[in-house]
Amino acid sequence: MSEAAAHAIDHHEPETSTGIPNKKVLMWAFLGSDCMFFGTLISTHLIYRKISATVGGNFLDIREIFDIELTSFSTFILLASSLFMALAVSAIHKGNLTSTRWMLFGTIVFGAIFLGCQVYEFTHFVHAAGNELTLSSYRGEPHVFGSTFYVLTGTHGTHVAIGVFWLIGWLIYSFTGKMSTADAMDIECCGLYWHFVDIVWILIFPVVYLMEYAF
Amino acid sequence: MSTESLKYLNPESQTDLKTKVFPRPGQNTTGVINWLTTIDHKKIGVMYGMAALFFLILGGVEALLIRSQLWNHNMDILSNREYNQMFTMHGTTMVFLVIMPLSAAFFNFIMPLQIGARDVAFPRINTLSLWCFIAGGLILNLSWICTGGSPAIGWFGYAPLTDTRFAEVLGDMGPDFWIFSLQILGLASLLASFNFITTIINMRAPGMTMMRLPVFTWMTLIVSFLIILAFPAITIALVELMFDRTYGTNFYDFLEGGKPHLWQHLFWIFGHPEVYILILPAMGIISEIIPVFSRKPLFGYGLIIFSGAIIGFMGFAVWSHHMFTTGMGIVATSAFSILTMLIAIPTGVKIFNWIGTMWGGRIRFDTPMLFALGFITMFMVGGFTGIMHSSVPIDAQHQDSYFVVAHFHYVLIGGALFGLFAGFYFWLPKLTGKILSEKLGKFVFTLMFLGFNLTFFPMHYLGMIGQPRRTHSYNEGHGFETWNQIATVGAFILGVGIAVGVYQFVTAAFNKKLKPAGKNPWDARTLEWTLSSPVKEYNFARTPIIKSRDQAWENNYGDKDKHSEKEPLGDHGVHMPDRSWCPLISGIGLFVFVLGMLFRKTIEVSDNFLATPYEVAIGGCSVFILGIIMWSLEGPGGYHLFPKENEE
Amino acid sequence: MKILFNKLQAISIAILPAFILFLGGCSRVDHKQSALDPKGIVSQNQYDIFMLSVWITIFLFCAVGGCLLYVLWKYRAKSAQEAMEVPPQSHGNSVIEVSLIIASTIILVILAIPTLQGVVLMNRVPDPNDTQTLEKLDLNRSAIDGAITVNVTGKRFFWVFEYPQYGIVTANELIFPTSRAVRINLRTEDVIHSFWLPKLAGKMDLMPGQENFLWFIANQEKILLGKDANGKEVKYSIDDAMPPVFNGKMRERIFAKQKFTDEFEAVGGLFYGQCAEFCGNSHAYMSFRALAQTDEDFNSWVKSFQNAQNPNLQPSAYNSENEYSKGSLVTFSDKSLGESATREFRAITEVAQGEAPNLSKKVWTQANSDDFEQGKKLFSSLQCVQCHAINRTGLGSKGPNLTLFGIRTSLAAGWMRNDKKNLTKWLKNSNEVKFGNLMWNGEGVDDNHPLRNLEDEDQKVKQLVTYLLGLK
Repeated sequence: MSEAAAHAIDHHEPETSTGIPNKKVLMWAFLGSDCMFFGTLISTHLIYRKISATVGGNFLDIREIFDIELTSFSTFILLASSLFMALAVSAIHKGNLTSTRWMLFGTIVFGAIFLGCQVYEFTHFVHAAGNELTLSSYRGEPHVFGSTFYVLTGTHGTHVAIGVFWLIGWLIYSFTGKMSTADAMDIECCGLYWHFVDIVWILIFPVVYLMEYAF
Repeated sequence: MSTESLKYLNPESQTDLKTKVFPRPGQNTTGVINWLTTIDHKKIGVMYGMAALFFLILGGVEALLIRSQLWNHNMDILSNREYNQMFTMHGTTMVFLVIMPLSAAFFNFIMPLQIGARDVAFPRINTLSLWCFIAGGLILNLSWICTGGSPAIGWFGYAPLTDTRFAEVLGDMGPDFWIFSLQILGLASLLASFNFITTIINMRAPGMTMMRLPVFTWMTLIVSFLIILAFPAITIALVELMFDRTYGTNFYDFLEGGKPHLWQHLFWIFGHPEVYILILPAMGIISEIIPVFSRKPLFGYGLIIFSGAIIGFMGFAVWSHHMFTTGMGIVATSAFSILTMLIAIPTGVKIFNWIGTMWGGRIRFDTPMLFALGFITMFMVGGFTGIMHSSVPIDAQHQDSYFVVAHFHYVLIGGALFGLFAGFYFWLPKLTGKILSEKLGKFVFTLMFLGFNLTFFPMHYLGMIGQPRRTHSYNEGHGFETWNQIATVGAFILGVGIAVGVYQFVTAAFNKKLKPAGKNPWDARTLEWTLSSPVKEYNFARTPIIKSRDQAWENNYGDKDKHSEKEPLGDHGVHMPDRSWCPLISGIGLFVFVLGMLFRKTIEVSDNFLATPYEVAIGGCSVFILGIIMWSLEGPGGYHLFPKENEE
Repeated sequence: MKILFNKLQAISIAILPAFILFLGGCSRVDHKQSALDPKGIVSQNQYDIFMLSVWITIFLFCAVGGCLLYVLWKYRAKSAQEAMEVPPQSHGNSVIEVSLIIASTIILVILAIPTLQGVVLMNRVPDPNDTQTLEKLDLNRSAIDGAITVNVTGKRFFWVFEYPQYGIVTANELIFPTSRAVRINLRTEDVIHSFWLPKLAGKMDLMPGQENFLWFIANQEKILLGKDANGKEVKYSIDDAMPPVFNGKMRERIFAKQKFTDEFEAVGGLFYGQCAEFCGNSHAYMSFRALAQTDEDFNSWVKSFQNAQNPNLQPSAYNSENEYSKGSLVTFSDKSLGESATREFRAITEVAQGEAPNLSKKVWTQANSDDFEQGKKLFSSLQCVQCHAINRTGLGSKGPNLTLFGIRTSLAAGWMRNDKKNLTKWLKNSNEVKFGNLMWNGEGVDDNHPLRNLEDEDQKVKQLVTYLLGLK
């Protein structure tokens, strides 16, 4: 057998059987799995939202504590960030580094605003005088709403936070000068993730927030 | 062929690499470092297999202790708490640390060879999933030495028994260890499954269409989909339980409005697909072995795959048959009862097709075939008792009795483990290049078959005359003694059989007396048998062009136009990626992180301690993140090999 | 060769009778907790469907297994040369496959129909107006109309049986009439338990925060039909199989009839049950009994419990100003038992107002012996009352209710026979008998607790035992 040291030749991404790059398939598989994560959490919330430890009564009026204007605003911000993300992916495909960088920056800022809103919201809920919604109780009465609410929206928030750190990674990378259209695939995967997280929020917002005003 | 990135290093940047802290170990790495940093799917498969065999012995010892305790009424070999820990650990170990990783070992080792790939799609993720699995196994078994000992909650940890409110030892940490080890094992399974899905969908050799895939690879694909769709349910259930135990949420606390029913639903939405996650790989192995030893192609290939997919799909629709006695109401129980009966049909189809395969063949009774036949008969018994349980009124007597114990051992030992042993006897020659001793193999089969039936058949009867499962002792005067003694004797015979088998597998590589296997010792049918044994590190010197379903067979016996061809070897040879430290570093980080999370409240921080648990957790997490960053920056590296035409 | 054959013959001659004896031994399936010996309508239904499924699967196993054996024999490679032959490479036959699928579907339908009927039967007591169903089940309307309700509460590690219709509570022994349906509501106060009464009802879990339901109705004919020690079918009389519980006859009969360790129950009216869902350290010890009674005996039992647990029948200190009806309870101070100790008496005739206390046997019966009275005091002073209620006294519901404990057949949630020897052993060190039980390990019990220090107190234990077993 003849062996030789590594040498650089014009390597190219090997053709895959389906023509879709491996990383994209992996990302789709992960997102499929992530759907089940959020599906489980959302169904837990739906099962529990009307259950109260006090026999006979659903005393919880969560509308008193929700700040629907703020949440609507942060929802809008998160959706807008998706636009930036899409533009970033499109820009890197065209090889426009400056535009990519700005669009990534925009996505990060909007993601961070969303996170900030969520942090504000959580603190506000926990410290709302006379109305505290904590993990285990509401107004000092044991309740499950707080458990499902914080764990569900918190898991989503963690997803956004991971996305933000990922994007920051790309932003830093864009300053090293190594970034090229060759990275388009990787940024697209990042974009897939970001859009998915947005779509999940589009589901969470009506199910967790709006529904309290409807039913 | 690297698939990790399209950026290749030019020689200049490779010199840069040497200045890095953890450079990727290159071509000539040997010894321990070679194993620790390997990203070769074959080596990873071997490590999966070795670790799983170790846990098989461990779980087996636990089982034998359980059986010894039940030898007679009111025995005190184990106290009741020890017994409860033993069956919890036995169940958790066997499901998550033995059958699943053994299947993963075969997925890793065989699947890329069967589809004509040089490795899986993401070799380093594959390594990470191995280290996560080992970390999970370690964490689970570390519980023995911590407060409260191992968990004593049963392998499905029904809430609210897992609640701190009902802990029977002050500050019991057992359930915490259980939660975290399952989480990290789940991570391992998820990572591996993403990888396998991508590999099977994307890395098939030219001409290897989906309907030419070997059945085992098909089952790998189905099982991987089951894993990625089923594991999230238990991950979330465990997160909620962890929050209940640690931060005082009320998910399962019925006194504060939670519903213990929810745990059961979430657990079994995972748990029932899990049953198929355990059995489908074995079915895939059997579907490979029976055609080989009958010298006929698989009867109804399409139907077998379709029924596998149906089983997987319907596995998500029958979970509540584990909960017939929890008071779900007439409609729900009836619906799940009917669905459960329906799932018997695709299972039956498989058995018919295996028999159809043998019909008209030339059947040889080598050890793999014996195990495969053992699988069919034992799985039939387990399947039939399963049909009984699908009927709610029958289940009202069987649920949580020894009848159920008998049923799932028939499926998981008689089914899954026999199938996996068949796989060992079948494919080990491909791994070691030597043929295993037939004599010893048949001896192992006899012991296992006898011991197994002796152990578990009487349990059907025991269940019917009223022995409940998970009781550390039974009272005299129920007539349980005789049958329990038979079962215990059988268990020891089975134990010896398994131990001899494991010894045979582990020593196979070093045993100099064994005869060399050659490329295709069984005259087998699928693509991996066109390769030399042991397989070269690059698998295929030249990517094969597939022309038919049973390619190795067609190459020997088929028409000329069905013989496989080979892609030309490019002038840059076969690119091999370098080994990598990053998965190991990330795995260690994760392990330390989990330990830090575990010791949140029970370890009192005194002056002797260097770090508080929080610091440990943060440290571990940092190492993990650092590992990931290094991972993303290290680049593929690699070297090129120029094998000759026939060197594969 | 011949020698070998002879040897085999000898061995088989030796083994065969043993084997037959062995099988004969197993031919009796009416073990104490056996689901194969149904004695009620619901369990009979479950058993019938089970046997149907057994026959179906035996048929399938023989058919498929026989086919497999045939194939293995017929198509085995008889020589090394044959093993290298290449048979015709057929890939399948869709007609065979589809017809096999249809055949297996039909077989499943055969099982599905009784299953669905069984589900309804298990979950719903038949409507008394639905004469058709009642006829089919061979039930009287009165059995349904007069159904009794029992609220079962599972606790670690014993059972509370409450009869809301009668306002009485007992523990670990469920008394029920054979002539009436028994509706059982299942609840739990801690973790999940499962109520399993194999011969009567199958099982149902006790889920926290939810009430589950189960019902059964025993078949008196089948209860009377038993087997004697040799396995012969015998029809016992009602007195043999279901003697009255309320006057202790049942207990006597069970104790006299056989040893606790015997494999088969000689008294047909005694049923064994068990917790079937893992609930903690002492899960294995969480069993119970169900005792069948005739209507009359059941009513007497209810009456004696109602008497015992009636708060209006509280004994009061004797006051000569009051008048006392027959049967009322009165306490007098009795120095012989110790300072400020009292003794309970019962009036056997009416006592008119102003009549002087007359301790002669004519008017008052002295209730019990000295040991009994001492034991009663100890029951309070040793803090037993904090967890156990007896009659109307006692605070606790943490432990089993011990009302009329003297007529109970079993002790420690059915783990052992309720006699002097066992009760003594239990009181001295219950942890040795049932490791992990909450009487020894529960909240508030530590090494200083008097309960944990009875090991060497033979006198006290004897008095307690006399008291507890004297509660009749």
